[in-house]
Amino acid sequence: MKLLVCLLAALLPCLAANNDIDKGKMLGSADAPIRVEVFSDFECPACRAFHEQVIPLLMREYVLSGKISILFRAYPLPIPDHRYSRQAAIYSTAAARVGKYLEVSDALFRNQMTWAMNGKWWDTIASVLTPAEQKKVQELAKEPSVAAEVQRDVDLGQQMRINSTPTLVIWYRGKDYIFPGPSLGNYNLLRSLLNGLR
Amino acid sequence: MEAAPPGTGRIVRLLALILRIALGVVFVYAAWVKLRTPWELFALSINSYLILPMNWVEFVAHTLPWVELVVGLGLIVGLWLRVWATMASAMLAVFFSLMVRADVKGMEINCGCFGPGELISWKTLLRDGSLLAGALALTCMSFLQPRKKA
Repeated sequence: MKLLVCLLAALLPCLAANNDIDKGKMLGSADAPIRVEVFSDFECPACRAFHEQVIPLLMREYVLSGKISILFRAYPLPIPDHRYSRQAAIYSTAAARVGKYLEVSDALFRNQMTWAMNGKWWDTIASVLTPAEQKKVQELAKEPSVAAEVQRDVDLGQQMRINSTPTLVIWYRGKDYIFPGPSLGNYNLLRSLLNGLR
Repeated sequence: MEAAPPGTGRIVRLLALILRIALGVVFVYAAWVKLRTPWELFALSINSYLILPMNWVEFVAHTLPWVELVVGLGLIVGLWLRVWATMASAMLAVFFSLMVRADVKGMEINCGCFGPGELISWKTLLRDGSLLAGALALTCMSFLQPRKKA
């Protein structure tokens, strides 16, 4: 019995990672051999740098050619300075359901300094949505399934012992490789790892 | 000068045996964890200490696990104990100093000791400090004991 529980606990992150894929928060083909899951927090400066500097490189070098797919996972850090992270995660997840995740996340990272200071995160999100989409996103954000999806990402990150953002979980042939703190400075290591997995 | 109580030599030898096997297993385990994962992940941990340029980071990431494996096996086998115990002490002294430096500087980084996912904390410092103390004690014991003739 104990062995079965241990086995289930070990398999849980794997099963969760495979079943909880929000296609609206994915870049590239779901059939790509390597899936890179990005655990990030909209109020984290290193996440902004990663989003603005490294994601375009990954897109150009790996996603467009179908070698990898990128899945964005919400990981709002429970620290007092990040007061609006969870709301930003919930609303961006809602935006994913109207096909606007990337636009919203780009805007949130681009204006991070402003909304993190004045708390007007909705203004930033609304700026890239049409009035109809704004209404829809606000409705969706109130649905329990959206908050549950964010919480599932957080639970998954905690199960995988992710302790900083951004952190990548690279899935290849059922195995996961945890790559904490990806940045432009260590991009050659990430590139070497991805090339080695192919 | 007082003579050592009877049986002291045996206790020291037993303590040395326990220390070298324990340290040997820890070194082999640390090496195994690093060697079974892509070297880039260990390189990432080394890089996060911000002390080496990237080409050195890559060199250390490729070589250190093998050195750990050799030292660990050397400790377990027990031949040339002075060499392996001194090397283990030197390596642990370097690791411990780097971890203390990172902690003092408030760097929230993974220690890289046994693979990714372990932030430097008082627990890791206590563990590595204890390992260093054990390695230093083993080194002293190995030099105090008469050398075995081959």
